[in-house]
Amino acid sequence: MFYNASHMVKLSILVIEDDPLARKVMAAQIGEHAVEFALDAASARQKLEAGNSDLCFIDLELGDGEDCAGLDLIPLAVAKGIYTVVMSGHDSEKIVERAYARGCDDFYSKGNEATNVGRIIARFLKRREPSGTGDLFTERFITEDPATRATVADALKYAASDLPILILGPSGTGKTNLARIIHDHSGRSGHFVSINCAAYTDDLLEAELFGYRKGAFTGAGDNRKGKLLAADRGTLFLDEIGSMSLNMQTKLLKAIEERSFYPVGSDRAETSDFRILSATLEDLQGLVKAGKLRFDFFQRIHGLTIELKPLAERTCDIFPLLSFYTRAGKRLSFTAEAKELLLRHDWPGNIRELKKFVDLLVAAHEGRVTPETVQKLLRVALVEDGAGEFVTEDQYDLALQKGLDAAVERFVDSIVARNLDANDGKKTRVLEDLKISTRLLYASLKRHGGRSAKP
Amino acid sequence: MSDRRPKLLEKLRHDVNSKCGSLVGAAALLPESAPDETREILALMARQAAELAKAVADVERDWDA
Repeated sequence: MFYNASHMVKLSILVIEDDPLARKVMAAQIGEHAVEFALDAASARQKLEAGNSDLCFIDLELGDGEDCAGLDLIPLAVAKGIYTVVMSGHDSEKIVERAYARGCDDFYSKGNEATNVGRIIARFLKRREPSGTGDLFTERFITEDPATRATVADALKYAASDLPILILGPSGTGKTNLARIIHDHSGRSGHFVSINCAAYTDDLLEAELFGYRKGAFTGAGDNRKGKLLAADRGTLFLDEIGSMSLNMQTKLLKAIEERSFYPVGSDRAETSDFRILSATLEDLQGLVKAGKLRFDFFQRIHGLTIELKPLAERTCDIFPLLSFYTRAGKRLSFTAEAKELLLRHDWPGNIRELKKFVDLLVAAHEGRVTPETVQKLLRVALVEDGAGEFVTEDQYDLALQKGLDAAVERFVDSIVARNLDANDGKKTRVLEDLKISTRLLYASLKRHGGRSAKP
Repeated sequence: MSDRRPKLLEKLRHDVNSKCGSLVGAAALLPESAPDETREILALMARQAAELAKAVADVERDWDA
């Protein structure tokens, strides 16, 4: 790799392609780089052995009479440290899997070179950035657990592809963090857009995902862009996807397949090129069996499934995480018994609970940390993290008597009313403080008879 | 030999995808190409189209073989 006079990065690219017309098309797309062509497997091997390329594009069918002969070239290219891209007229999952299993970095279906080739080069350059992976396990996803490192590294192999990835794991294990890291390694130029599907009712989730037009429903005072559009050329991360209703699954499936959708109240379709990452702590196959998850939707979101272990199963990470969270401030010193206690703790809230524990410790503690302090603060951290008892007996009884929806509405209304009072009736402040949609605010106000709200 | 048919169709699908992909990409290059290059691209496109027609004809011929 070198820089030309205009400071554009000039790459050495090898294109392994037997079709002369396809070579012509590729030459036009990557002409500003140093391009070399190999017309068959034998000459491709020679050029790969030389190891002079930054990047290579391999056609799977090389006209050598063998099925997918290009697959055999992947290990050599990877061994030479060349960013390996497979291009093929085959786009079946089986072929894509075979290519990735051999170690290729990227894959695309032939036919849209003008877009695909540029995007692939952008991904490659992104991966070459110095901060790319070197500090991954010490700065971004803190773990010394070999199995977890392997899991994360596996996930990153697919970061640059469009393959959907489903991240499984208990709450607080770092699913959102990992999704963000995958996005950062994807080379996609758009934003990382995250939504917690469990935090919305069906109608609200539809409005959040697809957006809405002014006047689509009470309280829709302006047009609002949805998450799908916000994730254009980026990544849409669907957290707690198992809580999505069948109705919403149907609508989202259509949007994923067609890459287009209608905002609520609009008859004009919007298009968006988003990649789906999703996460859940539920057993999705169980939900499929129970009829709560559409099989075709499940198929669409679980291209690659990765599972993060709870913190209690990777205790080797407890002290590295403690060090990481305190590195900018106070150094903590634990007695041997206190350390033992931390290692034996179950960490039901996982890393989020540990972070809360560190915050409490740093804020209020002086001197060497004793087992008593650890015990006391772990109890507080658990409650504040939400992994402990959160629902009061009264709330639970109300849900049993009136149903969960009514109990949730009461809970929402109480918080909205309290925040409205705290903000002297200013609705814009409530929207900001509670991070809720206009629609949710107005629905709550309507239930409360409007109250004394100001714009 | 009906057990060969899925393989024939899979190969045809691949040929159609990759050859049409090249044709589409090449057609997009034409407006920006110099006259000599245009002639070269058109010749390659004609050859590609002929190979595509042959790929279809091969499947047709082998379908009941």
